[in-house]
Amino acid sequence: MPRTLHDALPVTRPKTACKLRAALSRASNRLQRWAFAAVPAVGLIELAAHGLQTRRGATDADWGAARDYVAAQARGADLVAFAPAWVDPIGRARFGPALATLEREARSDETRFPRALEVSIRGAHLPAFAEWRRSGEQRFGAVSVTTWENPAPAQVLDDLVSRVDAQHLHVSRGDAECAFTHGTAQSGGLGFGPTIPADRFVCPAGAFIGASVVADLDYVPHRCIFAPPPGNAPLRLRFAGVRFGRLLHGHHALYVEAERDRKGAPVTLSFKSGDATLGTVVHRDGDGWKPFELDTSALTGQTGELLAEISSPGGERRLYCFEADTR
Amino acid sequence: MKAPSLPSLDFLRLPDRIGWRDHVIGASLGLLYLAWLLGTARELGFPRDEGVYFRAATEYWRWWLMLFERGREALQQGPIDSAFSMNHEHPALMKTLFGFSFWLFHEKWRVFADASTAFRLPGMATASLAIWVIYLFGARAWSRRAGAVAAVLFALMPRVFFHAHLACFDVPITAMWILCVYVHWRAQEKRSLGWIVAVGVVYGLALDTKHNAWFLPLVLVPHALFVQRHAIWRALKVGRLSLPGSLVSMAVLGPLVLVALWPYLWNDTLARVQWWVNFHLHHEYYNIEFLGKNYFGPPSPRSYLPVMVLATVPTVTLLLFFVGAVERGGVAVKRLLAWPRGVLKRAAATAADAPPRDARETDLLLALAFLVAIGPFFLPKTPIFGGTKHWMPAYPVLALYAGRGFDLLVPAMHRALPRLEARARWAAEALMVVCVILAPLAITAHSHPFGLSSYVPLVGGTAGGADLGLDRQFWGYTSQNAAEEYLNPRAPRGATVFIHDTTWDAWQRMQDEGRVRADLRAVGAPGEGMFALVEHELHMNEVDYAIWVADGTDAPAYIVEHDGVPIVSVYRKP
Repeated sequence: MPRTLHDALPVTRPKTACKLRAALSRASNRLQRWAFAAVPAVGLIELAAHGLQTRRGATDADWGAARDYVAAQARGADLVAFAPAWVDPIGRARFGPALATLEREARSDETRFPRALEVSIRGAHLPAFAEWRRSGEQRFGAVSVTTWENPAPAQVLDDLVSRVDAQHLHVSRGDAECAFTHGTAQSGGLGFGPTIPADRFVCPAGAFIGASVVADLDYVPHRCIFAPPPGNAPLRLRFAGVRFGRLLHGHHALYVEAERDRKGAPVTLSFKSGDATLGTVVHRDGDGWKPFELDTSALTGQTGELLAEISSPGGERRLYCFEADTR
Repeated sequence: MKAPSLPSLDFLRLPDRIGWRDHVIGASLGLLYLAWLLGTARELGFPRDEGVYFRAATEYWRWWLMLFERGREALQQGPIDSAFSMNHEHPALMKTLFGFSFWLFHEKWRVFADASTAFRLPGMATASLAIWVIYLFGARAWSRRAGAVAAVLFALMPRVFFHAHLACFDVPITAMWILCVYVHWRAQEKRSLGWIVAVGVVYGLALDTKHNAWFLPLVLVPHALFVQRHAIWRALKVGRLSLPGSLVSMAVLGPLVLVALWPYLWNDTLARVQWWVNFHLHHEYYNIEFLGKNYFGPPSPRSYLPVMVLATVPTVTLLLFFVGAVERGGVAVKRLLAWPRGVLKRAAATAADAPPRDARETDLLLALAFLVAIGPFFLPKTPIFGGTKHWMPAYPVLALYAGRGFDLLVPAMHRALPRLEARARWAAEALMVVCVILAPLAITAHSHPFGLSSYVPLVGGTAGGADLGLDRQFWGYTSQNAAEEYLNPRAPRGATVFIHDTTWDAWQRMQDEGRVRADLRAVGAPGEGMFALVEHELHMNEVDYAIWVADGTDAPAYIVEHDGVPIVSVYRKP
């Protein structure tokens, strides 16, 4: 009877181990001998990958079919967005301004949209929809359209950016009234800042207010009220007939090149209605597209004037823009 | 029946000694590249800097003509400064050559119909020079095969191919860097007066090309001192100071050549040199995107260089570089380990397992030439706005190591296939060459004219680069593509165009050369034009948004794409 496990092993066992070792050794030698082939193989793989990458892509037909689908599906309140972000210009060009509207492209955030139709290539998705529920996906060749449902869409009552006109807004700089004018939009190249829109309030000493689009610290576009505070007197924006809800929800920022060096004075934005101060928010350079929410539950269901007052101790290059809505 | 015998390849056999035939091979490779560059030059628009250099070149050459025609009058400070004040942050050599080439090949001999091609020729020629030198260097250091593969792999780097087209300084300084290293290397070997003088002259030419040359002493001085350490030590022991002649030549002739060929330094020399140095030590930081973030100032990300090299140099080239560099590194480590034993035995060379000593210390020289070229880009204060072009002087060395890597594969293949007869071996070698150069060739050819937007398959190509948030382009040179694809065929006569990042000089030249329709009028603000261009870069997004508000539409009428990635948006005012 065997006393140890070793004794119990059949006599052929050491031979098998030797054979295995020899086989391994032979395989290793063979591998070493042919290791050089890895380099030309990498060259060929790289060539094949290049061929695939340069031939695979969305065609005009793919984009056209996706556009037709989205045009049939999208409702006015829906968001239409493109992913990855770098494909956005192609999306805008293919879908046109009726689907890729300025309100969708330069949105302040996604909270107000009950549903999103995300048009994407390369399997990309926007991080904004990470918490949303996917309710469908359609593929059109290399373009796919994913439908996302917002689990908690906000119901917007009034959007202040849409009320920048003579009928809904009165603007003053200190005690001086600012007139609503229609002129020519003023824009420039890199470093100019947001376009000064054709329709704008112009103040006696040079200040202006108008609805524009700001590039935030991450170069993302946001539709907002471009209202650079002049420094020596606050800008006062009186919005008439605003329907109040529980919240005043908004964002503010400076044009990227005005705030990225973090050298400018802070900008203060205060909201009042009647005698009540709803709240004050401060934007400091480097804050980027900064969200804020003010409690207006005391005014819920009422319609009235909303005063926004913008001030800054230093007026130099305070290319300030804000947006807000009642919800 | 006997198989038909193939012709013998013996006539292709070259003598062992590297000689004139190798110059012919190197020059031929260079000329082939030059022909390719010339053949593709018209497809590439004019970057911002190039427009400035075209103008400076014309001014500089105007002064030289004045010198030939009016002699002493041209030597007064007024005429010198009026010509050379323009773009005096960069030295004069290449701009002078651009101007000379323009005058000779466009104005006088009419060789090139496009003035721009004549301006660009000297820059292209320096790319050819680099290829020639790389071949010779590799052939002398290791083998002709290593040299040839190195030269070809250098030529087939997409970014090198892009910059080699331009009348700029990045490829010229790359060529001067490797030429200077090569001449210095030869001088250490030959130690003849001719080679020693050549080091000084070439270093002066490098200084007069671009300020990267300031760093060359960090390569050449330690190397020369190490190569000649025994002689220096022997001299010190008898109380003499013996410096390598090449270094003395560099120190004396280098600055002399710089000043001689840069008339701007002939007056107020010290103050102007000081200004030149200060300009580059405190250079403005321009915007550049890296991994989705816009960098516009320090600290620069340390991963920038490695990631961009991985993303822009063909992977097979990098793999070969790795093989070659590891082998040469291994040799250096073995020598280092053998050295203490050698010292103990007072005979380093006799240590049994030490690799054979290379009197030229090639490994040390190449390692220094590589590390010094890339070193500054690991410092947080070094601006990174130039993308890969600022460390291009490292690429000839990278290619040389890749050539060495290939050189190691061939004997490995022969060991794996010992029974191959001579012609089959030759065919197998040729096949392996094809395998390693085909992908770089395809990638490089496909990248044109969007060389700055193009990325290698390892990161997913151009679209992969966009996914990663790597820079799409800079310098505003793609307006030509927008014109060719959309504006020229579709814009109404006399239409106005906001030309975005393209300079007025560049636009004007594109019109002069018929690349952009002559009746199209450039304007300086998005809202002023019937058409508006946006050359896509992250920080240029704001121009897109400006157009949305100014024109009342966010939908481009046309997009210039490369592999499905937007390069230029063309807006048409509704």
